[in-house]
Amino acid sequence: MTDPHDRTRPHHGSHPSHGSNPSHGSHPRHGLDEVIHAPVRFSIVATLAAADKAEFAFVRDTVEVSDSVLSRQVATLEKAGYVAVTKGYVGKRPRTWLALTADGRAAFAAHCQALRAIAGDDA
Amino acid sequence: MSEYAAKDAAAALARAQELSSTVRAGAKWYVRYQVVYGCAAAVVVLAIGLLSRPYGVAIGVGFWGVVVAGLSVYSARQRVARRGFGRWHASMIIAWGLLYAAVLVPGSIWFPGVVAWWVPGAVVVALPGLIGGYLEARR
Repeated sequence: MTDPHDRTRPHHGSHPSHGSNPSHGSHPRHGLDEVIHAPVRFSIVATLAAADKAEFAFVRDTVEVSDSVLSRQVATLEKAGYVAVTKGYVGKRPRTWLALTADGRAAFAAHCQALRAIAGDDA
Repeated sequence: MSEYAAKDAAAALARAQELSSTVRAGAKWYVRYQVVYGCAAAVVVLAIGLLSRPYGVAIGVGFWGVVVAGLSVYSARQRVARRGFGRWHASMIIAWGLLYAAVLVPGSIWFPGVVAWWVPGAVVVALPGLIGGYLEARR
């Protein structure tokens, strides 16, 4: 992949334990989740974090990306175990619903905690 | 990521807040849903309690069926449900069910056609929807 943010972490939904890995320091930036960190994926996860579930088109319009970009990023998040995709129908119209998984919510909460620490730490 | 600065983190958090607000705005349909539900519940109680039988029951149940079907279609067509919607909705329905039974059962046995029972009862049965709608609007 050409996107450096497409790297997934070995343990989905888990977070780096500071000090256990020599490459991880004590700076809060090491608490950032690399899957969520990419701007578009961060926006997708932030949108879904405020919702029980959201229609694909709602997320697309909210995040302001194309269908193909959203599909690709959602696939990455789904592979990481952060997003659940459900397909169904409303009347005769096919609909795709997106929702954060419990792992996704935990990862986003930890990511935001790291962001708050960075914002406070470096300010 | 190593050059991630405080301003970048603050901007990301602000973006998350902005997106959260957009979701909340998109989920405001549930205000209308609850208010309609509450008002319809009151009308049903008044119809069953105050109109002569069996017309009151038939009108009340028929009206309720139409309203619930309409609300179900309305909710199914919405694009987003806010976080906690499922639990909140279940609580509202359970509260309505308990109050409905508490008004309907004694009213049917001891107070058929008594305005002093059914009008306050209708207001009580409407409360879960109306209070829920008010709280939802304030979110």
